[in-house]
Amino acid sequence: MLAYLVKRLGASLLTALLATFLVFVFVRMVPGDVVAQMMGQAGSDRAEEALRAFFGLDQPVWMQYFAWLGDVLRGDFGVSWTRGMPVTEMVGEAFLVTLELGLLTLALATIVGVPLGIIAGIYEGRALDTTIQAFNILGLAAPVFWVGLMILVGVSATFSWSPPLRFQGPTEDLSENLAMLLLPILSLGFLQAAAYSQFVRQSVVSAMHEDYVRTAIAKGMPTRTVFFKHILRNVAIPIVTFMGLILIQILGGVVIIESLFALPGLGRLLLSAIETRDYPIVQGALLVVVVVAMVVNLVVDLVYHLLDPRLRIS
Amino acid sequence: MSDTVIRTRYGTGLSARIRREPGLWLGLAVMALLLLICLFPGLFATASPFEIDTAAALQGPSAQHWFGTDDVGRDTYSRVIHGARVTLSICAGSLLISALVGGALGMVSGFFGGLVDQVLGRLVDVMLSFPPIVLGIIITGVLGPELQNLILALSVVYMPVFFRIARAGSMAQANLSYVEAARSVGLRESTILRRHLVRNVAPLLMTQYMILFPLILQIQAALGFLGLGVQPPTPDWGALLEQGKDYILFAPWMSVFPGLAVLLTAFALILVGRALQGRIDSR
Repeated sequence: MLAYLVKRLGASLLTALLATFLVFVFVRMVPGDVVAQMMGQAGSDRAEEALRAFFGLDQPVWMQYFAWLGDVLRGDFGVSWTRGMPVTEMVGEAFLVTLELGLLTLALATIVGVPLGIIAGIYEGRALDTTIQAFNILGLAAPVFWVGLMILVGVSATFSWSPPLRFQGPTEDLSENLAMLLLPILSLGFLQAAAYSQFVRQSVVSAMHEDYVRTAIAKGMPTRTVFFKHILRNVAIPIVTFMGLILIQILGGVVIIESLFALPGLGRLLLSAIETRDYPIVQGALLVVVVVAMVVNLVVDLVYHLLDPRLRIS
Repeated sequence: MSDTVIRTRYGTGLSARIRREPGLWLGLAVMALLLLICLFPGLFATASPFEIDTAAALQGPSAQHWFGTDDVGRDTYSRVIHGARVTLSICAGSLLISALVGGALGMVSGFFGGLVDQVLGRLVDVMLSFPPIVLGIIITGVLGPELQNLILALSVVYMPVFFRIARAGSMAQANLSYVEAARSVGLRESTILRRHLVRNVAPLLMTQYMILFPLILQIQAALGFLGLGVQPPTPDWGALLEQGKDYILFAPWMSVFPGLAVLLTAFALILVGRALQGRIDSR
Protein backbone atom coordinates (compact mmCIF):
# COMPACT_ATOMS: atom_id res chain seq x y z
CA MET A 1 0.00 0.00 0.00
CA LEU A 2 2.72 2.44 1.01
CA ALA A 3 4.84 1.53 -1.99
CA TYR A 4 1.84 2.11 -4.22
CA LEU A 5 1.19 5.47 -2.62
CA VAL A 6 4.79 6.58 -3.06
CA LYS A 7 4.77 5.50 -6.69
CA ARG A 8 1.51 7.33 -7.36
CA LEU A 9 2.74 10.48 -5.65
CA GLY A 10 5.96 10.40 -7.62
CA ALA A 11 4.15 10.04 -10.93
CA SER A 12 1.75 12.85 -10.02
CA LEU A 13 4.58 15.18 -9.08
CA LEU A 14 6.38 14.49 -12.33
CA THR A 15 3.22 15.19 -14.30
CA ALA A 16 2.59 18.42 -12.40
CA LEU A 17 6.16 19.51 -13.01
CA LEU A 18 5.88 18.81 -16.73
CA ALA A 19 2.52 20.61 -16.85
CA THR A 20 3.99 23.75 -15.26
CA PHE A 21 6.93 23.62 -17.65
CA LEU A 22 4.72 23.30 -20.73
CA VAL A 23 2.50 26.16 -19.59
CA PHE A 24 5.55 28.25 -18.81
CA VAL A 25 7.04 27.78 -22.26
CA PHE A 26 3.71 28.03 -24.07
CA VAL A 27 2.71 31.43 -22.68
CA ARG A 28 6.16 32.80 -23.52
CA MET A 29 6.16 31.50 -27.08
CA VAL A 30 3.54 33.98 -28.19
CA PRO A 31 4.40 37.53 -29.26
CA GLY A 32 2.85 40.36 -27.27
CA ASP A 33 3.98 40.08 -23.65
CA VAL A 34 3.04 42.09 -20.60
CA VAL A 35 5.57 44.80 -21.44
CA ALA A 36 4.14 45.38 -24.91
CA GLN A 37 0.68 45.60 -23.36
CA MET A 38 1.76 48.06 -20.66
CA MET A 39 3.70 50.33 -22.98
CA GLY A 40 1.40 50.22 -25.96
CA GLN A 41 2.62 52.50 -28.75
CA ALA A 42 4.14 54.98 -26.32
CA GLY A 43 7.11 53.01 -25.00
CA SER A 44 10.61 53.59 -26.30
CA ASP A 45 12.72 50.57 -27.11
CA ARG A 46 15.02 51.29 -24.20
CA ALA A 47 12.21 51.56 -21.70
CA GLU A 48 10.73 48.30 -22.98
CA GLU A 49 14.08 46.57 -22.70
CA ALA A 50 14.54 47.82 -19.17
CA LEU A 51 11.10 46.62 -18.14
CA ARG A 52 11.68 43.22 -19.76
CA ALA A 53 14.92 42.91 -17.82
CA PHE A 54 13.02 43.85 -14.66
CA PHE A 55 10.56 40.98 -15.20
CA GLY A 56 13.39 38.66 -16.21
CA LEU A 57 11.89 38.27 -19.67
CA ASP A 58 15.25 38.95 -21.30
CA GLN A 59 16.63 35.66 -19.95
CA PRO A 60 16.41 32.37 -21.86
CA VAL A 61 13.11 30.59 -21.13
CA TRP A 62 14.69 27.63 -19.38
CA MET A 63 16.57 29.92 -17.01
CA GLN A 64 13.36 31.80 -16.25
CA TYR A 65 11.67 28.48 -15.55
CA PHE A 66 14.27 27.22 -13.14
CA ALA A 67 14.32 30.55 -11.35
CA TRP A 68 10.55 30.37 -11.00
CA LEU A 69 10.62 26.73 -9.93
CA GLY A 70 13.29 27.46 -7.33
CA ASP A 71 11.17 30.22 -5.87
CA VAL A 72 8.05 28.05 -5.90
CA LEU A 73 9.83 25.28 -4.04
CA ARG A 74 10.71 27.86 -1.40
CA GLY A 75 7.03 28.84 -1.25
CA ASP A 76 7.43 32.06 -3.21
CA PHE A 77 5.08 32.28 -6.18
CA GLY A 78 6.20 35.76 -7.14
CA VAL A 79 4.29 38.98 -7.58
CA SER A 80 1.55 39.78 -10.08
CA TRP A 81 3.05 41.77 -12.95
CA THR A 82 -0.01 43.91 -13.46
CA ARG A 83 -1.32 44.38 -9.93
CA GLY A 84 1.86 44.17 -7.87
CA MET A 85 0.28 41.90 -5.27
CA PRO A 86 1.78 38.56 -4.17
CA VAL A 87 0.52 35.69 -6.34
CA THR A 88 -0.05 33.54 -3.26
CA GLU A 89 -2.45 36.10 -1.87
CA MET A 90 -4.40 36.66 -5.09
CA VAL A 91 -4.60 33.01 -6.11
CA GLY A 92 -5.33 31.98 -2.53
CA GLU A 93 -8.26 34.35 -2.18
CA ALA A 94 -9.66 33.35 -5.57
CA PHE A 95 -9.21 29.68 -4.76
CA LEU A 96 -11.28 30.00 -1.59
CA VAL A 97 -14.18 31.40 -3.63
CA THR A 98 -13.88 28.60 -6.17
CA LEU A 99 -13.56 26.01 -3.43
CA GLU A 100 -16.73 27.18 -1.69
CA LEU A 101 -18.60 27.23 -4.99
CA GLY A 102 -17.23 23.83 -5.97
CA LEU A 103 -17.99 22.07 -2.70
CA LEU A 104 -21.53 23.45 -2.45
CA THR A 105 -22.13 22.46 -6.07
CA LEU A 106 -20.82 18.99 -5.34
CA ALA A 107 -23.16 18.76 -2.35
CA LEU A 108 -26.17 19.70 -4.48
CA ALA A 109 -25.12 17.35 -7.28
CA THR A 110 -24.74 14.49 -4.80
CA ILE A 111 -27.99 15.10 -2.94
CA VAL A 112 -29.98 15.26 -6.17
CA GLY A 113 -27.98 13.00 -8.46
CA VAL A 114 -27.29 9.93 -6.34
CA PRO A 115 -30.91 9.20 -5.30
CA LEU A 116 -32.14 9.86 -8.83
CA GLY A 117 -29.57 7.46 -10.24
CA ILE A 118 -30.44 4.76 -7.71
CA ILE A 119 -34.16 5.10 -8.40
CA ALA A 120 -33.63 5.02 -12.16
CA GLY A 121 -31.41 1.96 -11.84
CA ILE A 122 -33.90 0.06 -9.69
CA TYR A 123 -36.79 0.85 -12.02
CA GLU A 124 -34.73 0.07 -15.10
CA GLY A 125 -36.74 0.19 -18.31
CA ARG A 126 -39.90 1.61 -16.73
CA ALA A 127 -41.48 5.03 -17.13
CA LEU A 128 -39.77 6.47 -14.05
CA ASP A 129 -36.38 5.39 -15.39
CA THR A 130 -37.12 6.91 -18.80
CA THR A 131 -38.15 10.20 -17.20
CA ILE A 132 -35.01 10.40 -15.07
CA GLN A 133 -32.86 9.48 -18.04
CA ALA A 134 -34.46 12.22 -20.11
CA PHE A 135 -33.53 14.67 -17.34
CA ASN A 136 -30.02 13.24 -17.31
CA ILE A 137 -29.48 13.61 -21.03
CA LEU A 138 -30.94 17.12 -21.00
CA GLY A 139 -28.54 18.00 -18.20
CA LEU A 140 -25.61 16.55 -20.11
CA ALA A 141 -26.64 18.39 -23.28
CA ALA A 142 -27.25 21.85 -21.80
CA PRO A 143 -24.38 24.34 -21.87
CA VAL A 144 -23.70 25.39 -18.30
CA PHE A 145 -23.48 29.14 -18.94
CA TRP A 146 -26.76 29.05 -20.86
CA VAL A 147 -28.53 27.34 -18.00
CA GLY A 148 -27.06 30.02 -15.75
CA LEU A 149 -28.43 32.75 -18.01
CA MET A 150 -31.87 31.10 -18.15
CA ILE A 151 -32.02 30.72 -14.37
CA LEU A 152 -30.99 34.37 -14.02
CA VAL A 153 -33.78 35.48 -16.37
CA GLY A 154 -36.31 33.15 -14.80
CA VAL A 155 -35.54 34.22 -11.25
CA SER A 156 -35.50 37.93 -12.01
CA ALA A 157 -38.78 37.69 -13.96
CA THR A 158 -40.60 35.53 -11.41
CA PHE A 159 -39.32 36.87 -8.09
CA SER A 160 -37.98 40.22 -9.31
CA TRP A 161 -34.80 39.28 -7.49
CA SER A 162 -31.25 39.50 -8.73
CA PRO A 163 -28.03 38.46 -7.03
CA PRO A 164 -25.93 41.08 -5.20
CA LEU A 165 -23.36 42.88 -7.31
CA ARG A 166 -20.38 42.70 -4.98
CA PHE A 167 -18.97 39.43 -3.73
CA GLN A 168 -18.51 39.05 0.01
CA GLY A 169 -16.76 36.19 1.73
CA PRO A 170 -18.71 33.82 3.98
CA THR A 171 -17.02 35.30 7.05
CA GLU A 172 -17.88 38.88 6.02
CA ASP A 173 -21.57 38.46 5.36
CA LEU A 174 -22.82 34.90 5.06
CA SER A 175 -26.29 35.68 3.70
CA GLU A 176 -24.95 38.02 1.00
CA ASN A 177 -22.29 35.44 0.19
CA LEU A 178 -24.82 32.66 -0.24
CA ALA A 179 -27.18 34.95 -2.18
CA MET A 180 -24.41 35.58 -4.67
CA LEU A 181 -23.51 31.91 -4.92
CA LEU A 182 -27.09 30.62 -5.14
CA LEU A 183 -27.62 30.89 -8.89
CA PRO A 184 -24.18 29.58 -9.91
CA ILE A 185 -24.62 26.62 -7.57
CA LEU A 186 -28.09 25.90 -8.94
CA SER A 187 -27.02 26.04 -12.59
CA LEU A 188 -23.86 24.01 -12.20
CA GLY A 189 -25.28 21.70 -9.53
CA PHE A 190 -28.24 20.53 -11.55
CA LEU A 191 -26.14 19.80 -14.60
CA GLN A 192 -23.64 17.83 -12.57
CA ALA A 193 -26.51 16.07 -10.78
CA ALA A 194 -27.58 14.81 -14.20
CA ALA A 195 -24.11 13.48 -14.94
CA TYR A 196 -23.83 11.94 -11.47
CA SER A 197 -27.26 10.35 -11.74
CA GLN A 198 -26.37 8.83 -15.10
CA PHE A 199 -23.19 7.26 -13.67
CA VAL A 200 -24.95 5.93 -10.60
CA ARG A 201 -27.81 4.50 -12.66
CA GLN A 202 -25.37 2.51 -14.76
CA SER A 203 -23.67 0.94 -11.77
CA VAL A 204 -26.98 0.15 -10.08
CA VAL A 205 -28.22 -1.49 -13.28
CA SER A 206 -25.14 -3.66 -13.58
CA ALA A 207 -25.34 -4.58 -9.88
CA MET A 208 -28.99 -5.58 -10.36
CA HIS A 209 -27.97 -8.02 -13.07
CA GLU A 210 -25.36 -9.74 -10.90
CA ASP A 211 -25.91 -13.38 -10.01
CA TYR A 212 -25.80 -12.76 -6.28
CA VAL A 213 -28.68 -10.31 -6.53
CA ARG A 214 -30.73 -12.74 -8.58
CA THR A 215 -29.95 -15.48 -6.06
CA ALA A 216 -30.90 -13.29 -3.13
CA ILE A 217 -34.23 -12.44 -4.74
CA ALA A 218 -34.82 -16.08 -5.73
CA LYS A 219 -34.29 -17.36 -2.22
CA GLY A 220 -36.94 -14.94 -1.00
CA MET A 221 -34.85 -12.25 0.66
CA PRO A 222 -36.92 -9.10 1.24
CA THR A 223 -36.35 -6.45 -1.43
CA ARG A 224 -35.21 -3.94 1.16
CA THR A 225 -32.50 -6.28 2.42
CA VAL A 226 -31.36 -7.09 -1.11
CA PHE A 227 -31.11 -3.41 -1.81
CA PHE A 228 -29.15 -2.40 1.26
CA LYS A 229 -27.01 -5.49 1.62
CA HIS A 230 -26.18 -6.37 -1.96
CA ILE A 231 -26.84 -3.47 -4.24
CA LEU A 232 -25.97 -0.38 -2.22
CA ARG A 233 -22.80 -1.90 -0.86
CA ASN A 234 -21.51 -2.67 -4.34
CA VAL A 235 -22.59 0.65 -5.73
CA ALA A 236 -20.82 2.59 -2.98
CA ILE A 237 -17.44 2.24 -4.67
CA PRO A 238 -18.43 3.68 -8.05
CA ILE A 239 -20.34 6.45 -6.27
CA VAL A 240 -17.12 7.56 -4.58
CA THR A 241 -15.16 7.33 -7.81
CA PHE A 242 -17.73 9.40 -9.64
CA MET A 243 -17.61 12.00 -6.90
CA GLY A 244 -14.00 12.65 -7.81
CA LEU A 245 -14.83 12.77 -11.49
CA ILE A 246 -17.72 15.16 -10.88
CA LEU A 247 -15.53 17.38 -8.73
CA ILE A 248 -13.02 17.70 -11.56
CA GLN A 249 -15.84 18.49 -13.99
CA ILE A 250 -17.09 21.12 -11.57
CA LEU A 251 -13.59 22.59 -11.46
CA GLY A 252 -13.85 23.11 -15.23
CA GLY A 253 -17.44 24.35 -15.05
CA VAL A 254 -16.76 27.01 -12.45
CA VAL A 255 -14.35 28.75 -14.79
CA ILE A 256 -17.23 29.68 -17.09
CA ILE A 257 -19.89 30.15 -14.46
CA GLU A 258 -17.62 32.49 -12.49
CA SER A 259 -17.17 34.81 -15.42
CA LEU A 260 -20.92 34.79 -16.03
CA PHE A 261 -21.87 35.65 -12.45
CA ALA A 262 -18.90 37.92 -11.77
CA LEU A 263 -17.51 35.76 -8.98
CA PRO A 264 -13.89 36.59 -8.07
CA GLY A 265 -12.78 32.97 -8.27
CA LEU A 266 -9.87 31.13 -9.81
CA GLY A 267 -11.46 30.90 -13.26
CA ARG A 268 -12.05 34.60 -13.61
CA LEU A 269 -8.59 35.37 -12.26
CA LEU A 270 -7.08 32.98 -14.79
CA LEU A 271 -9.03 34.51 -17.68
CA SER A 272 -8.03 38.06 -16.84
CA ALA A 273 -4.42 37.05 -16.22
CA ILE A 274 -4.23 35.36 -19.63
CA GLU A 275 -5.65 38.49 -21.20
CA THR A 276 -3.12 40.81 -19.57
CA ARG A 277 -0.26 38.31 -20.00
CA ASP A 278 0.31 38.31 -16.26
CA TYR A 279 2.42 35.14 -16.34
CA PRO A 280 3.05 34.68 -12.61
CA ILE A 281 -0.71 34.64 -11.98
CA VAL A 282 -1.37 32.32 -14.94
CA GLN A 283 1.27 29.90 -13.68
CA GLY A 284 0.13 30.07 -10.08
CA ALA A 285 -3.55 29.63 -10.90
CA LEU A 286 -2.92 26.75 -13.28
CA LEU A 287 -0.64 25.04 -10.79
CA VAL A 288 -3.49 25.14 -8.28
CA VAL A 289 -5.94 23.70 -10.83
CA VAL A 290 -3.58 20.86 -11.75
CA VAL A 291 -2.67 20.06 -8.16
CA VAL A 292 -6.32 20.04 -7.05
CA ALA A 293 -7.24 17.68 -9.88
CA MET A 294 -4.37 15.40 -8.90
CA VAL A 295 -5.18 15.42 -5.22
CA VAL A 296 -8.80 14.54 -6.02
CA ASN A 297 -7.69 11.64 -8.20
CA LEU A 298 -5.29 10.43 -5.55
CA VAL A 299 -7.88 10.58 -2.77
CA VAL A 300 -10.38 8.73 -4.97
CA ASP A 301 -7.80 6.03 -5.58
CA LEU A 302 -7.08 5.68 -1.89
CA VAL A 303 -10.75 5.52 -0.90
CA TYR A 304 -11.23 2.99 -3.67
CA HIS A 305 -8.55 0.81 -2.14
CA LEU A 306 -10.06 1.15 1.31
CA LEU A 307 -13.59 0.32 0.18
CA ASP A 308 -12.78 -2.60 -2.06
CA PRO A 309 -11.10 -5.46 -0.22
CA ARG A 310 -10.32 -7.19 -3.52
CA LEU A 311 -7.88 -4.42 -4.41
CA ARG A 312 -6.22 -4.42 -1.02
CA ILE A 313 -4.66 -7.84 -1.48
CA SER A 314 -2.92 -7.03 -4.74
CA MET B 1 -32.63 -0.82 -22.16
CA SER B 2 -32.48 -4.35 -20.89
CA ASP B 3 -31.85 -7.40 -23.02
CA THR B 4 -35.28 -8.81 -22.32
CA VAL B 5 -37.01 -5.82 -23.83
CA ILE B 6 -35.00 -6.12 -27.00
CA ARG B 7 -35.59 -9.85 -27.35
CA THR B 8 -39.34 -9.67 -26.93
CA ARG B 9 -39.77 -7.08 -29.67
CA TYR B 10 -39.02 -8.88 -32.89
CA GLY B 11 -39.28 -7.42 -36.35
CA THR B 12 -36.95 -6.07 -38.96
CA GLY B 13 -39.11 -3.34 -40.52
CA LEU B 14 -38.31 0.29 -39.96
CA SER B 15 -41.19 0.83 -37.53
CA ALA B 16 -40.09 -2.15 -35.45
CA ARG B 17 -36.53 -0.85 -35.37
CA ILE B 18 -37.73 2.59 -34.32
CA ARG B 19 -39.84 1.06 -31.55
CA ARG B 20 -36.86 -0.94 -30.36
CA GLU B 21 -34.50 2.03 -30.16
CA PRO B 22 -36.61 5.21 -30.14
CA GLY B 23 -33.76 7.30 -28.76
CA LEU B 24 -31.38 6.38 -31.56
CA TRP B 25 -33.92 7.19 -34.27
CA LEU B 26 -35.00 10.45 -32.66
CA GLY B 27 -31.35 11.44 -32.49
CA LEU B 28 -30.75 10.43 -36.11
CA ALA B 29 -33.80 12.39 -37.26
CA VAL B 30 -32.59 15.57 -35.55
CA MET B 31 -29.10 15.02 -36.95
CA ALA B 32 -30.51 14.62 -40.47
CA LEU B 33 -32.41 17.89 -40.08
CA LEU B 34 -29.27 19.61 -38.83
CA LEU B 35 -27.30 18.28 -41.77
CA LEU B 36 -29.89 19.75 -44.15
CA ILE B 37 -29.69 23.08 -42.33
CA CYS B 38 -25.91 23.05 -42.57
CA LEU B 39 -25.94 22.19 -46.27
CA PHE B 40 -28.77 24.49 -47.35
CA PRO B 41 -29.19 27.24 -44.75
CA GLY B 42 -30.83 29.42 -47.40
CA LEU B 43 -33.80 27.07 -47.55
CA PHE B 44 -34.52 27.53 -43.85
CA ALA B 45 -33.53 31.11 -43.13
CA THR B 46 -36.14 33.82 -43.55
CA ALA B 47 -33.72 36.73 -43.79
CA SER B 48 -30.07 37.53 -44.26
CA PRO B 49 -27.99 36.80 -41.14
CA PHE B 50 -26.03 40.00 -41.68
CA GLU B 51 -28.66 42.56 -42.69
CA ILE B 52 -28.77 45.37 -40.14
CA ASP B 53 -32.02 47.22 -39.49
CA THR B 54 -31.58 49.48 -36.48
CA ALA B 55 -35.26 50.48 -36.59
CA ALA B 56 -36.15 46.87 -35.75
CA ALA B 57 -33.53 46.38 -33.01
CA LEU B 58 -34.22 44.28 -29.90
CA GLN B 59 -37.71 43.17 -30.94
CA GLY B 60 -39.23 40.11 -29.30
CA PRO B 61 -40.27 37.03 -31.26
CA SER B 62 -43.00 37.77 -33.81
CA ALA B 63 -44.45 36.39 -37.05
CA GLN B 64 -41.82 38.27 -38.99
CA HIS B 65 -38.87 37.56 -36.68
CA TRP B 66 -39.51 34.12 -35.16
CA PHE B 67 -36.65 34.35 -32.65
CA GLY B 68 -36.75 38.16 -32.35
CA THR B 69 -33.98 40.54 -33.39
CA ASP B 70 -30.61 41.50 -31.90
CA ASP B 71 -29.21 44.87 -30.85
CA VAL B 72 -28.73 46.02 -34.45
CA GLY B 73 -31.96 44.53 -35.77
CA ARG B 74 -30.59 41.36 -37.34
CA ASP B 75 -32.97 38.38 -37.48
CA THR B 76 -31.94 35.97 -34.68
CA TYR B 77 -33.66 32.97 -36.31
CA SER B 78 -31.66 33.38 -39.52
CA ARG B 79 -28.48 33.89 -37.54
CA VAL B 80 -29.09 30.69 -35.60
CA ILE B 81 -29.80 28.81 -38.85
CA HIS B 82 -26.65 30.11 -40.54
CA GLY B 83 -24.73 29.58 -37.31
CA ALA B 84 -25.34 25.82 -37.51
CA ARG B 85 -22.90 25.43 -40.39
CA VAL B 86 -20.21 27.59 -38.74
CA THR B 87 -20.47 25.97 -35.31
CA LEU B 88 -20.94 22.37 -36.36
CA SER B 89 -18.31 22.35 -39.09
CA ILE B 90 -15.73 23.76 -36.69
CA CYS B 91 -16.61 21.09 -34.14
CA ALA B 92 -16.75 18.24 -36.66
CA GLY B 93 -13.47 19.25 -38.30
CA SER B 94 -11.57 19.80 -35.06
CA LEU B 95 -12.77 16.52 -33.62
CA LEU B 96 -11.77 14.74 -36.84
CA ILE B 97 -8.23 16.12 -36.54
CA SER B 98 -8.27 15.04 -32.93
CA ALA B 99 -9.36 11.49 -33.78
CA LEU B 100 -6.91 11.09 -36.66
CA VAL B 101 -3.85 12.45 -34.86
CA GLY B 102 -4.71 11.05 -31.44
CA GLY B 103 -5.78 7.73 -32.91
CA ALA B 104 -2.68 7.33 -35.07
CA LEU B 105 -0.31 8.23 -32.24
CA GLY B 106 -2.19 5.95 -29.86
CA MET B 107 -2.04 2.99 -32.22
CA VAL B 108 1.67 3.42 -32.87
CA SER B 109 2.28 3.89 -29.16
CA GLY B 110 0.32 0.80 -28.15
CA PHE B 111 1.66 -1.41 -30.91
CA PHE B 112 5.35 -0.65 -30.65
CA GLY B 113 5.59 0.31 -26.97
CA GLY B 114 9.03 1.29 -25.77
CA LEU B 115 10.36 4.80 -25.50
CA VAL B 116 7.78 6.34 -27.85
CA ASP B 117 5.01 4.94 -25.69
CA GLN B 118 6.66 6.25 -22.53
CA VAL B 119 7.09 9.77 -23.84
CA LEU B 120 3.67 10.05 -25.46
CA GLY B 121 2.00 8.51 -22.42
CA ARG B 122 3.60 11.08 -20.14
CA LEU B 123 2.54 13.92 -22.43
CA VAL B 124 -1.03 12.64 -22.46
CA ASP B 125 -1.03 12.47 -18.66
CA VAL B 126 0.01 16.11 -18.57
CA MET B 127 -2.78 17.14 -20.93
CA LEU B 128 -5.32 15.16 -18.95
CA SER B 129 -4.28 16.92 -15.76
CA PHE B 130 -6.17 20.03 -16.95
CA PRO B 131 -9.97 20.04 -17.11
CA PRO B 132 -10.77 20.13 -20.88
CA ILE B 133 -12.34 23.59 -20.86
CA VAL B 134 -9.33 25.01 -19.02
CA LEU B 135 -7.03 23.59 -21.69
CA GLY B 136 -9.21 25.22 -24.34
CA ILE B 137 -9.11 28.56 -22.54
CA ILE B 138 -5.33 28.49 -22.17
CA ILE B 139 -4.75 27.76 -25.85
CA THR B 140 -7.26 30.23 -27.30
CA GLY B 141 -6.57 32.82 -24.62
CA VAL B 142 -2.82 32.83 -25.15
CA LEU B 143 -2.81 32.48 -28.94
CA GLY B 144 -5.71 34.87 -29.52
CA PRO B 145 -9.27 34.44 -30.78
CA GLU B 146 -8.61 33.45 -34.38
CA LEU B 147 -10.23 30.62 -36.26
CA GLN B 148 -7.10 28.51 -36.64
CA ASN B 149 -6.34 28.86 -32.92
CA LEU B 150 -9.88 27.82 -32.04
CA ILE B 151 -9.55 24.74 -34.25
CA LEU B 152 -6.15 23.97 -32.74
CA ALA B 153 -7.56 24.25 -29.21
CA LEU B 154 -10.61 22.14 -29.99
CA SER B 155 -8.54 19.43 -31.63
CA VAL B 156 -6.05 19.27 -28.77
CA VAL B 157 -8.60 19.12 -25.95
CA TYR B 158 -9.80 15.55 -26.54
CA MET B 159 -6.75 14.20 -28.35
CA PRO B 160 -5.60 12.36 -25.20
CA VAL B 161 -8.92 10.50 -25.06
CA PHE B 162 -8.55 9.23 -28.62
CA PHE B 163 -4.92 8.42 -27.90
CA ARG B 164 -5.78 6.27 -24.91
CA ILE B 165 -8.56 4.40 -26.68
CA ALA B 166 -6.44 3.68 -29.74
CA ARG B 167 -3.51 2.66 -27.54
CA ALA B 168 -5.59 0.26 -25.45
CA GLY B 169 -7.26 -1.09 -28.58
CA SER B 170 -4.06 -1.80 -30.43
CA MET B 171 -2.38 -3.25 -27.35
CA ALA B 172 -5.25 -5.69 -26.99
CA GLN B 173 -5.05 -6.60 -30.68
CA ALA B 174 -1.25 -6.81 -30.78
CA ASN B 175 -1.27 -9.96 -28.65
CA LEU B 176 -4.00 -11.80 -30.54
CA SER B 177 -3.11 -14.84 -32.58
CA TYR B 178 -4.01 -13.38 -35.95
CA VAL B 179 -1.35 -10.72 -35.50
CA GLU B 180 1.11 -13.41 -34.55
CA ALA B 181 0.05 -15.40 -37.60
CA ALA B 182 0.52 -12.38 -39.83
CA ARG B 183 3.96 -11.88 -38.36
CA SER B 184 4.90 -15.53 -38.82
CA VAL B 185 4.10 -15.43 -42.54
CA GLY B 186 6.53 -12.56 -42.81
CA LEU B 187 4.35 -9.47 -42.95
CA ARG B 188 6.11 -6.31 -41.93
CA GLU B 189 5.09 -4.60 -38.68
CA SER B 190 3.93 -1.49 -40.51
CA THR B 191 1.77 -3.61 -42.81
CA ILE B 192 0.18 -5.40 -39.85
CA LEU B 193 -0.48 -2.06 -38.24
CA ARG B 194 -2.09 -0.70 -41.36
CA ARG B 195 -3.99 -3.74 -42.50
CA HIS B 196 -5.18 -5.31 -39.26
CA LEU B 197 -5.03 -2.94 -36.35
CA VAL B 198 -6.51 0.10 -38.05
CA ARG B 199 -9.51 -1.93 -39.10
CA ASN B 200 -10.15 -3.07 -35.55
CA VAL B 201 -9.43 0.18 -33.77
CA ALA B 202 -11.35 2.43 -36.18
CA PRO B 203 -14.82 1.45 -34.91
CA LEU B 204 -13.75 2.30 -31.35
CA LEU B 205 -12.54 5.70 -32.51
CA MET B 206 -15.72 6.37 -34.47
CA THR B 207 -17.90 5.61 -31.47
CA GLN B 208 -15.74 7.84 -29.33
CA TYR B 209 -16.10 10.55 -31.96
CA MET B 210 -19.86 10.47 -31.54
CA ILE B 211 -19.58 10.46 -27.76
CA LEU B 212 -17.20 13.41 -27.68
CA PHE B 213 -19.07 15.47 -30.27
CA PRO B 214 -21.63 16.92 -27.81
CA LEU B 215 -18.82 17.70 -25.38
CA ILE B 216 -16.71 19.51 -27.96
CA LEU B 217 -19.82 21.41 -29.05
CA GLN B 218 -20.27 22.67 -25.51
CA ILE B 219 -16.64 23.67 -25.24
CA GLN B 220 -16.84 25.45 -28.58
CA ALA B 221 -19.92 27.32 -27.40
CA ALA B 222 -18.31 28.13 -24.05
CA LEU B 223 -15.20 29.54 -25.72
CA GLY B 224 -17.42 31.61 -28.00
CA PHE B 225 -19.35 32.79 -24.97
CA LEU B 226 -16.12 33.88 -23.28
CA GLY B 227 -15.17 35.82 -26.42
CA LEU B 228 -12.36 33.38 -27.23
CA GLY B 229 -14.11 31.62 -30.11
CA VAL B 230 -15.61 32.73 -33.40
CA GLN B 231 -15.76 36.51 -33.58
CA PRO B 232 -18.82 38.57 -34.58
CA PRO B 233 -20.39 39.33 -37.01
CA THR B 234 -19.98 35.69 -38.11
CA PRO B 235 -23.08 33.85 -36.92
CA ASP B 236 -21.85 31.19 -34.50
CA TRP B 237 -23.92 29.81 -31.65
CA GLY B 238 -21.32 30.60 -29.01
CA ALA B 239 -20.72 34.09 -30.43
CA LEU B 240 -24.49 34.71 -30.51
CA LEU B 241 -24.67 33.78 -26.84
CA GLU B 242 -21.77 36.08 -26.04
CA GLN B 243 -23.55 38.89 -27.83
CA GLY B 244 -26.85 38.19 -26.05
CA LYS B 245 -25.26 38.15 -22.59
CA ASP B 246 -25.32 41.95 -22.22
CA TYR B 247 -29.01 42.11 -23.14
CA ILE B 248 -30.07 39.11 -21.11
CA LEU B 249 -32.63 40.97 -19.01
CA PHE B 250 -34.09 43.14 -21.83
CA ALA B 251 -33.87 40.76 -24.77
CA PRO B 252 -33.58 37.20 -23.42
CA TRP B 253 -34.57 35.76 -26.83
CA MET B 254 -31.11 36.68 -28.08
CA SER B 255 -29.75 34.05 -25.69
CA VAL B 256 -32.63 31.59 -25.41
CA PHE B 257 -32.63 30.36 -29.02
CA PRO B 258 -28.90 29.93 -29.76
CA GLY B 259 -28.66 28.06 -26.45
CA LEU B 260 -31.59 25.87 -27.40
CA ALA B 261 -29.85 25.11 -30.68
CA VAL B 262 -26.78 23.88 -28.77
CA LEU B 263 -28.96 21.94 -26.35
CA LEU B 264 -31.03 20.24 -29.05
CA THR B 265 -27.96 19.32 -31.10
CA ALA B 266 -26.09 17.95 -28.10
CA PHE B 267 -29.22 16.04 -27.03
CA ALA B 268 -29.50 14.33 -30.42
CA LEU B 269 -25.78 13.54 -30.49
CA ILE B 270 -25.88 12.05 -27.01
CA LEU B 271 -28.82 9.81 -27.94
CA VAL B 272 -26.99 8.47 -30.99
CA GLY B 273 -23.69 8.16 -29.14
CA ARG B 274 -25.27 6.14 -26.36
CA ALA B 275 -26.91 3.76 -28.82
CA LEU B 276 -23.57 3.21 -30.58
CA GLN B 277 -21.79 2.70 -27.29
CA GLY B 278 -24.40 0.12 -26.30
CA ARG B 279 -23.71 -1.82 -29.50
CA ILE B 280 -19.96 -1.78 -28.96
CA ASP B 281 -20.39 -2.92 -25.37
CA SER B 282 -22.69 -5.80 -26.21
CA ARG B 283 -20.30 -7.12 -28.86
